[in-house]
Order: sequence, then C-alpha cells, then structure tokens
Amino acid sequence: MRPLGLLKGGFAALVVFFLIAPLIAILPLAFTDSVFLNYPIPHFSFRWFVELFTTDVWRRSIVNSLIVGSAATVLATVLGTLGALALRGKRMSFFFAAIRTVFLLPMVVPAVVLGVGMQLIFARWGLANSYLGVIIAHTVVGVPFVVVNVLAVLQSIDVRLEHAAASLGASPPTTLWQVTLPLALPGIVSGAVFAFATSLDEVVLTLFVAGPNQRTLARQMFSTIRENISPAIAAAAFVFIAGTILLALVLNLVQKARGASRPA
Amino acid sequence: MQPGTLRSRAVVLALMAPLLLFLLFFFAVPLFTMMKSAVSDPVASQALPQTAAAIRGWDKAGPPSPEITAAFVADIRNIEDDELFGDLVRRLNSAKAGFRTLMAKTRTAARETDGAVDLVSVDARWGDVAFWQAVASAAASPITDRNLLAALDLKRDAAGRIEVIPPERSANRATFMRTFWVSAVVTLACVLIGLPFAMVAASVQGWKRQLLLGAVLLPLWTSLLVRTAAWFILLQDNGPINSALMWLGVTESPIPMIFNRVGVIIAMTHVLLPFMVLPIFSVLIGIPKNLMPAAASLGAHPIRAFWRVLLPLSMRGVVSGSLLVFMTAIGYYITPELIGGAKDQMISSVIAYYAMGAANWGMAGALGLILLLATIILYTVYIRFSSEEEVRR
Amino acid sequence: MTAFIRLENVSKAFGPLTVVKDLNLEIEKGEFVSMLGPSGSGKTTLLMMLGGFERPTSGAVWVNGKRIDALPPYRRNMGVVFQNYALFPHMTVGENVAFPLKMRKVARAKIAEQVSRALDMVQLGSFAARKPSQLSGGQQQRVALARSLVFQPEIVLMDEPLGALDKKLREQMQLDIRELHRRLGLTIVFVTHDQTEALTMSDRIAVFNHGKIEHIGTPAEIYDRPRTRFVAEFIGETNMLAGQVESVAGDTAQVRLASGQQVRVAASAGLRPKADICFSIRPERLRVGSGDGAQNELDTTVTDIVYHGDHLQLLLRAGDQQLLAKADRSGKIPEAGAPLAVSFSASDCWIVA
Repeated sequence: MRPLGLLKGGFAALVVFFLIAPLIAILPLAFTDSVFLNYPIPHFSFRWFVELFTTDVWRRSIVNSLIVGSAATVLATVLGTLGALALRGKRMSFFFAAIRTVFLLPMVVPAVVLGVGMQLIFARWGLANSYLGVIIAHTVVGVPFVVVNVLAVLQSIDVRLEHAAASLGASPPTTLWQVTLPLALPGIVSGAVFAFATSLDEVVLTLFVAGPNQRTLARQMFSTIRENISPAIAAAAFVFIAGTILLALVLNLVQKARGASRPA
Repeated sequence: MQPGTLRSRAVVLALMAPLLLFLLFFFAVPLFTMMKSAVSDPVASQALPQTAAAIRGWDKAGPPSPEITAAFVADIRNIEDDELFGDLVRRLNSAKAGFRTLMAKTRTAARETDGAVDLVSVDARWGDVAFWQAVASAAASPITDRNLLAALDLKRDAAGRIEVIPPERSANRATFMRTFWVSAVVTLACVLIGLPFAMVAASVQGWKRQLLLGAVLLPLWTSLLVRTAAWFILLQDNGPINSALMWLGVTESPIPMIFNRVGVIIAMTHVLLPFMVLPIFSVLIGIPKNLMPAAASLGAHPIRAFWRVLLPLSMRGVVSGSLLVFMTAIGYYITPELIGGAKDQMISSVIAYYAMGAANWGMAGALGLILLLATIILYTVYIRFSSEEEVRR
Repeated sequence: MTAFIRLENVSKAFGPLTVVKDLNLEIEKGEFVSMLGPSGSGKTTLLMMLGGFERPTSGAVWVNGKRIDALPPYRRNMGVVFQNYALFPHMTVGENVAFPLKMRKVARAKIAEQVSRALDMVQLGSFAARKPSQLSGGQQQRVALARSLVFQPEIVLMDEPLGALDKKLREQMQLDIRELHRRLGLTIVFVTHDQTEALTMSDRIAVFNHGKIEHIGTPAEIYDRPRTRFVAEFIGETNMLAGQVESVAGDTAQVRLASGQQVRVAASAGLRPKADICFSIRPERLRVGSGDGAQNELDTTVTDIVYHGDHLQLLLRAGDQQLLAKADRSGKIPEAGAPLAVSFSASDCWIVA
C-alpha cells in the first residue's frame, strides 16, 4: 500500500497547491513599490494601500461597497428569514417545493441575463444609476443564501420547544420572538454573512445597473484589471481576503457562542 | 377546514409574501422584460401604431385604402424621435431597397403640410404595391422572430422563408458552440482532477481531511474577482508560471497562457473545481465504510472492487457535479472576459456587448433568452437527477 | 356530576391512518390517571389533543364544563412536561421557570419569589443561574417540572417524562411526582409505556390499544381482573390457558383443558357449559408442589430455570402449553426436564374471554 499512499499524497498535494497557490501568489504583490504587477518585487512598500484608501476613485468605491453591502445584507436577511419561516417544515407538497425553487432561482440564472433585464426595467422605473437600484440587485442575488441557511437551522429546532412555549402561555408571535428566532440566530447570521460576501463580490449586475457614482469596489477592480492593470488590484485583493477571513472568524465565534447554549 | 388551520395558512402566506413580491418585481419582471425585448419589434408598436391597426384588413394585393394612407401619414408626422425613425427606415429598407430616400421625402412632406397628403404625388413609388407590402410586413405585428433567428444565425428572406446568414456576417452559432465547448472541456478537467481528489479526501480522516476540504473551501470563500485577478497575474508572459517554467528549462520562450483559450480553461477550472469536488465528496462519505471490505471478502481484487463498486456508486456525485459545473460555466462572464482574448469570447460577453455597447436590446434579449433556456433545462435535469436518487435511497 | 375532564367521542386521523378511534374518557378533579399502552396506540396523540397541540378530527374535549377543543394551547392553562424536557436552551434555568409568569404579566418582584419557590420545591434552588446544557438529565427533568407547576395550573399533562432516566433516578422521580400530586391537589394525566410505573403511581390506569381504551380502572382492577386478553397480557406477566366449560356449579366452573386435564375456575357471570374460554393465571399464583388441599393441580415438566435476582422464573410445559411460574430461592430448586406439580385455587384464575 505504500506506493499507493505516496501516489495519493502526491496527487492531493499537487491539487491543493493548484487550489491555494494563486491566492497566495497575488498577496505579496500588494506590497510592491513598482507600478508593474508582476514578480520580482523590487522593493516593499505600502504605497498601493495608501493609493487604495486615499485615491478618490478607490476610496469612493470602498465606501459604496460598504453602503450597498450593508443595505443589501439587511434587506436580504429580513426577506430571506421571513421566507424561510414560511417554508419551514413544509417540504412535502408540490406548492411549497415550487416556492422554494423560486426563492433559490436567483442563484441559478446567469447574472448577465438578469443584468440585461434589470437594466431595461430599472431605466423605466427610474432606478437606473441609483444606490437603490444597486442595493435591490445585490439583494436579489443574496436572498437565496439567507433562505438556505435559515431553513437549515430552523429544521434543527425541536418543535416541542415551541409547543412548550405555547403550553406556558406564549402566543404564536411571542413564541417566534422569544424562542424561535433566538434559536435560529446562528443560521440568520451565517446567511447574512453569505449575503454580504456575495454583495461585495458582485460585478456583473453592478456593471448593468450602477452608474459612475455607485461604483463598488468589485466593479472598480474589474475596470482596473481590464483597462489599466496596477498593483492596486493586489492591494484590493489583499483587503478582500483579509475581510473574508474576518467574516469567517466572526461566523466561527457566533457558532461557538451559540454552541454553549445548545441543549446537552 | 377548521378555523385554526385557516388562520395558520394565512400566517404562512403573509410570511411568504414579502419575499415573493420582491422577487416578482425585481427578478421575474426583469427576466420577463428581457424576454419581451427579445421578441418585440419597436418599429411596429412605437413608430406605426395607427398604420398597424389600419393595415390589418388589407389584402396586400390591390392598392391600400385611404384610411391606411392617412394613418401612415399621421404616424410619420408623429415620430419625434430621430433614432426611432432611423430604426423604422432600416427596417423598411431591409424588406425592400429604396426606402431611405422615399422616407426622407415623405417625412418632409408630412411635416410641411397638415391634414391629408397625397403620397403618390410626393413620390411615384407610393403607387407601387410592393412598397406598401413592405410597410405591411414592418407594421404587421409587435412581435418579431428576427432577433431570435439572428441569435442562431438565421434570417428570413424576402419571401419569408428561413435561411442561414452567411458565415462572414454571423458569429452567434460559433459563439454558442465555443461556449459549450469550453464549458465541456472545463467540466471534463474538473472531473479528471476533482474525482480522484474527492476520493482521496473521503479516504482519509482527521486533519488530513480537514486540510483537503479546507483547500477546496478557501477558494470558494475568496472573491471570484480576486481569484481571476490572481490568474491574470500568474498567466502573464513574464509572470511567475512562465518564469518558473523557463527557470526549470521546460521551455525557452514564454508560453502564451493569457488572452487565449488555455488561460481561460485553466482559470475556469480553478474557479469551478470546488463545485465538482463537494458533490462527489458528499456522495462518497454516504457510502457505507464496510462496502469495499465486503467486496474484498467476496473475492474482489482491489482494482476490480474499485471499478465495479466504488466508481459506479460515486457516479451520482460525478453527474451532479458535472451538471453544476457545466451549467455555471456557460453563463460565466468575468473570468472569460478578463482572461480570454478576442477569439475566446463566450456568449455572456456578446450579450453584454449588445446591451451596454450597442444598445441592441433585441439581440441581447434573444441571446440571453437562449442562454437562459439552456440553463433552465440543465437545472431541471439536475433537480430531477438529485431528487430521483434521493427517492431511490 | 360531570367529570372535570371529559373527552367525548374523540377521534384523530392523520390522512388515511386513524390513530384514536371514538374515544370516551372522564377524569375527576385531583385524579392521577395514567395512559398506558404500546407505542402507536394513540395515548400520546390523546395527550396532545388535551394540550391543544393537535385538534380532534371529530369529538369534543371538555374541561370544567367548558368546551376547549377550539382553544389554542397558550390559552388552556395546563402544565405540560415533555419527553425531552423541552427546556429553552438559550435561557437560564431561572428564566425558563419565569417564562410562564412573564407570559401572564406577573410583577417582576413576584416572579423572582415564585421562581425560587418552584425551584426549591424540586430541590434545585441554587441552580437558577445555570443553563440547561449544564444540568444532568434528572436535573433538567426537575426544572421542566418546576416550570410546568410555577403558574399553578390545575391540570398537568406528562408525556413519558421519565423515559430517559436510569432506573434509580426514575424510581425516585416517581415518588417525587406522586408527592407533588398529593400536596398540590393536581389533576395529572400521565402517558407511559412502562406498566410498573403506571401501577405504582396512578389512581386509575387507562390501557390503550390501537386507538381505543380496552380497560380503565384502578391498578388492582387492571392487574387482578383485566377485562380483555390484551390487557391481561400487557400488564405484568401471565399465563393464558384455553379450555372448554364442562359444568358450572355456583361460582366455580369445571373446565377441560386442551391437554385433557381438568381444573376448577372462578366462574364469570352468565357462563354456560360447552363455552370456549380463555383464562389467565398470574405466575406468582402457581405454587410449586402439591398438597395443602389446593383446589387445582397441574402436572408439568420443567423446561428451563431463569435466575432473576430475588426469585427464580420457571418455564414449565403442560401438554403443548407453556407456563411461567415463580419460585423463591429457598427450598428445593427443580431440575430442568424433571416433572413438577403446581397448584392453585379457582379464585386465582380470571376469565378474560
């Protein structure tokens, strides 16, 4: 079995390298002081981070991403949680399976197709080149993640806890607020994190519906790569990855805190 | 129905309503609008509304009635938008040559006089039924199949039959083929790399498995743009990969890997590999651990056991993953757009060009409709496949 | 006088499956009634209908003269103890117990006082700040009990609350619940599949089978004079013997068994000769050995002896009939394969069908 084990290990290592190396390769370039985005790095410098946070166009794009991301996350989380609550425990019938598919469709449809439609109709409704339009677009693609996550956690809540609350005098809205939602919080939070990450990364829809004033960070990165490649990209990528790790840590902490109060 | 049930049903509907309405307005309506623009003909509905209504009863043989000519003059007089007028002229001209000058004269005449205009006296060509037939075909219906046909490199000739557009002027079929071809290659690459990797991950425990899974999940967590940007850097002629290859002596001059098919395939495989590994992995860990030992106890050589037991059982994950990867790949925009060259354009780039570059909503919609159809069909197959297997379990 | 709790012709169907069939049950105030039966017999469903978590497909539920089957659970004011305790994991023990008082808008100071009193009642006074996940199974159970009693309901429903506890803890809890029942004058409806539990705790037992109550009575009645064969075999262990009545004289009947042997059995009302009957005789009623002027004697062969700690269980064979008997460990221990005579009186037998 030894040679097979070596083969397995070698192959796995190669694939892991293939998967991870590109991410690692781009990070050091964020610290180059040259205007060219390739190796070798002549000297290390923070100039591109400075550029990222001080240049008008980059700074505005970061602010836009935060504004749009937060708003879209809140909207997606509220709508998605309500939708998941409606679907909870109703998997069998055709009607509810269809509704569930509808809630998940934005994940399936190619973004370009949706983008064309949105551009057309948003212009007619006066939503073109507006923050609201971009927020709505990001919400549409973020909602499926919230629905999936919240549905999953709702399924793990024992329905007898809600019966117990009712037997103790809690009306359905009270039960929802005092028992169900607090217990569903980990799923809601992880859904929100996914929605936020999706909004941060969203380029295609943004291309179609955002005006020059609503350019998000991702949109800006896309233009820069296409037209005028510079190490600012690497700095932005670094910020992205750092942000992702931060989010993952937040998620992890929330899970741990909730885990302490799970039934034995 | 008991009153309690009625109330709880109302509650469920109330909970569902906000999201449903939101998706209706901002997801369904945009898609529907796109589909409509694929088949709508602005010329008839916007430029010649009165003519369209009046000409419906015409037999297309004898000269048109005074109502028709009067409606036509009124419509021409009403067109303020020069772009729309230009569209109208183009449309008419594509049905019968000569409309450019004809329409220019007619427009001037309609604007200079109020009331009735004798079109034949403006230009003798209005006496020719053929020109009115062209008007009739343009005003015929608000729906046209022109865009859809063009999306597949087809058009209708003068008699209305469908014919193929010559290859020098058509590129859509080629683009579709290219899109499907690239996606298929990427899917195959993902299977060849992802299946063994998933098998290795399923066969180890503890930290090793966590490491392998983490390596798959970390790219998923990373922004797509960042991953694409990373490949953009890596695949350059003077990038790290070429530098390493030259340093190792594998090649003398840099291998072009960016702005060509190779780069696109490599980058897309990297991005889509997790979508292949995860479904296969989840299928594999569902297989009872004692199945292979059982096969061995029944006398199967390890390779035979692998071939006849493990591989067929993992097929479910492979098919599932392949559908997922293929379905996602055909709709991809960012990676092919940034990494590919001019000859590597996939259908999404063409759609984006028509929408944002040329403002040709008809073509954008038509191509988008076909892409959407292909995606929906694949998704339906995917759903059927995964639920069928669930039931069989 | 109408009963405190009355279930009138209650049925419950889930789709094509009828789980409770046309059930009638009356419970007096202050009674401890156990609902006993195998899984799927409908007892938990009935409890759920009492609590308002399921609605009867047909029939009515009355409490204290008022019809409640349309009333949602949060207005029924009944304490419910669930099988898995159902303590809110995100609240402390104190908050769990305070929950029903909060729902009833009791003043904050009064809540604290009543919570501590309820926790003292179950000997968990110092645990108020802990989370349920930090408690053992038995402690969680007691918190669930305190929570269901703190708002002083008149009726308490319990759905197999002691099922997850080990034997010693279970027996202790049975005594504690019994004590609380007496002290607080509660009406308790208790679902269990453990017949020993039902026998030790209840004022009356309702034995369920396939959605119907086969027999409802005191523990003694259920055990000594079971109404049907199912009840006789479900409660405790018993020997069922079949035979034909040869003659009836006063309160005894002469019965011929399939093996040919004749026994004298306590006659039930209206018993006629030539009737085919089944009667039950409890293993502990079969005395090993003959003599002492017993009314009946049966010749058997010992097939096996099983050690049961404080007694021996004897498996005997009479003809093609298997019998169970109990013997204490003093005296001669019979050998497997040896013949053995057992004796019993006519009144030890109880005709079930």
